[in-house]
Amino acid sequence: MRDETSLNPPVSIQDGHGGIEKKLTGIPRRSQLALLVAPSALWLIILLVLPLITMIGLSFQKSAFGPDSEVFTFASYLNFWQNSAYQSLLGKSLWISLVVAGLSILLAYPVAYFLAFHAGDKQSLLLNIMIIPAWTSFLLRVLAWRLILGSNGLINTFLMWLGVIQEPISGLFYSVNAVIITLVYIWIPFAALPIYVALLRIEPGLLEAASDLGAKPWQGFFKVTLPLSIPGILAAFLYVFIPTVGEYVTPALVGGPNGLMIGNIIWDQFMRGLDWPMGATLSLVVMLIVLLPLVFMAKAAQQTGLFGGKSE
Amino acid sequence: MKIYRFRALVLLAVFVSTLLAGCSAGAGTQEIDKPDEPLVILEWTGYEVTEYPQFFVPLSDKYGDNINDYFNVSVFGDDAEAFAKVQSGFNADIIHPCSSWWGLYVESGLVQPLDVSRIAEWENIPEAFREPGKFNGEYYFVPWDWYYEALLVRTDLVPEMPTSLADLWDPMYAGHVSLWDNGEVSFATAALAFGIDPFNTTPEQDEFVKQKLIEIKPNLLTYWLDYTQAIELSASGDAWIVASAWQDTWSVLVDEGYEVAYLEPEEGYLAGVCGYGIGTNNTNLDLTYEFLNAAIDPHSMANFTNEYWYGAANFAANEFIDEGAAELLQLDDFENVLKNTRFYPPLTAERRDLLSDLWNEVKAAP
Repeated sequence: MRDETSLNPPVSIQDGHGGIEKKLTGIPRRSQLALLVAPSALWLIILLVLPLITMIGLSFQKSAFGPDSEVFTFASYLNFWQNSAYQSLLGKSLWISLVVAGLSILLAYPVAYFLAFHAGDKQSLLLNIMIIPAWTSFLLRVLAWRLILGSNGLINTFLMWLGVIQEPISGLFYSVNAVIITLVYIWIPFAALPIYVALLRIEPGLLEAASDLGAKPWQGFFKVTLPLSIPGILAAFLYVFIPTVGEYVTPALVGGPNGLMIGNIIWDQFMRGLDWPMGATLSLVVMLIVLLPLVFMAKAAQQTGLFGGKSE
Repeated sequence: MKIYRFRALVLLAVFVSTLLAGCSAGAGTQEIDKPDEPLVILEWTGYEVTEYPQFFVPLSDKYGDNINDYFNVSVFGDDAEAFAKVQSGFNADIIHPCSSWWGLYVESGLVQPLDVSRIAEWENIPEAFREPGKFNGEYYFVPWDWYYEALLVRTDLVPEMPTSLADLWDPMYAGHVSLWDNGEVSFATAALAFGIDPFNTTPEQDEFVKQKLIEIKPNLLTYWLDYTQAIELSASGDAWIVASAWQDTWSVLVDEGYEVAYLEPEEGYLAGVCGYGIGTNNTNLDLTYEFLNAAIDPHSMANFTNEYWYGAANFAANEFIDEGAAELLQLDDFENVLKNTRFYPPLTAERRDLLSDLWNEVKAAP
């Protein structure tokens, strides 16, 4: 019965609520709900919906400033459509995020597995140990990789000490690989958490039943554990994939000339290029593309009942 | 109970009114000419009047510790960033852009013309610096500092010393060159390297330079974003050659004992001059001209040059400048400098957009 309560919301809240609350406060239930939702709804409207509308408007302007800002045009979209450099950069950014998400899940899964099934009473301690490094500054964690990958870094010094190489390899830092390594390192804890939670929800009895029916441990894993943890894997994928597509700090710091991502160009269009319409267009295109897997997964989840929804 | 509440209210009212009276009395004892709001200065990092009183000697002498009541400094590290900030509504009273950007400020109506008769040292500023700030017959900028863009070379690491900008494309330096992440500057550097006048190009030449900037990628370590990163890249030994480096990067590295050279390329220096403009909405012109005169003061300027090794636009400052800095700046032969150096002229909005797009496409190119 471990952790049953923390995972499934206590049932009592949903039972027989209305009557008691109404008696206590005298506010009708509908208004109560509205009051509860209002702050976050307002927050979302002011900080998400309105900016989004502004961005959409901006993407159709000729310029962000002066009289040209009144002119309605598709120029930015056309520019993106015709510009193979931006398209291939977007493609590369998606590819980098995909690789990062894949590697993060691959590396996080064993950690989550160990935590869920073998950590015993040290579970929460180990969980904290995994998360605590994420509290240090993001920039610091990115730049720390210079100590490992830089030309005077650990890897180069070690290889030179071994005599394998005579001169430091210079392509380790400031490259696409450095971007991927750094991002995977940063996102592993975030990928491990949803997988860990999904694994915790697996009824141990199922594995016992599998082994009673003659399944070897690895068969049990592939036939029972892995399929049941898929919701966690998908959640981890989205957790990592969506924020990394728009990433710009890491590529700016460690990407070098070939490791830049679409986020860097968007930043540039807003901060220095002063081409806000183009920046808005690129952001919206990225957002639309990121929405696709999200919608797809939501659909799949609905159909299969993966996320605990109704299965039909 | 009610009586207590009434007494408490009275007490509170007395307390609040004493507090208010105290405040207004305090305000009354301040200096008379203190402005209601301090002047807002949009300034390069490392130049702030509130942090570097030695670059604004007469002001610091007069206002001392009260300087914060008179000036409020916001900093930037990149001209494009500053322009974007002002353009999108930041109300700066005094702005410090460099010459390529001057025309854009005037064109967008962000600065007001100067009354040069109120600038005491105006005649000591060479014409070469004053003229780029002249639009429609009026001056808009007080030139203050000028700089070279040269090659910062780690002499102990390069297999062979580079001599020209074209050498940046030499495979010998593969993976160890760093260009500035700046469209205008990197375009000018590449154009000059291949014998093209960077400030007067045809569309074919623009395309050619773009290709050259894409071709140099295998030679690049990374783009440097700001002065601290330029220093860091050179100090760590990762970048053997930092292109478009300013004098202060060199001065810092020399002070720290690195073996670095500040190399004038065969094609000549690219150079820029920066200066102060007055924001359109600035009405406190007395304090503004006091600031401008303090900045352009020979002693202020000499302190500035001696510290950063940048040039001083006021040539009356030259007699107070240290030998080393004077030699680097070639002050004794300035006519010759003007002949061999390409100073960035003001850009037009179209040209700026074109270069910014070109540079983004270079960076996005695989």
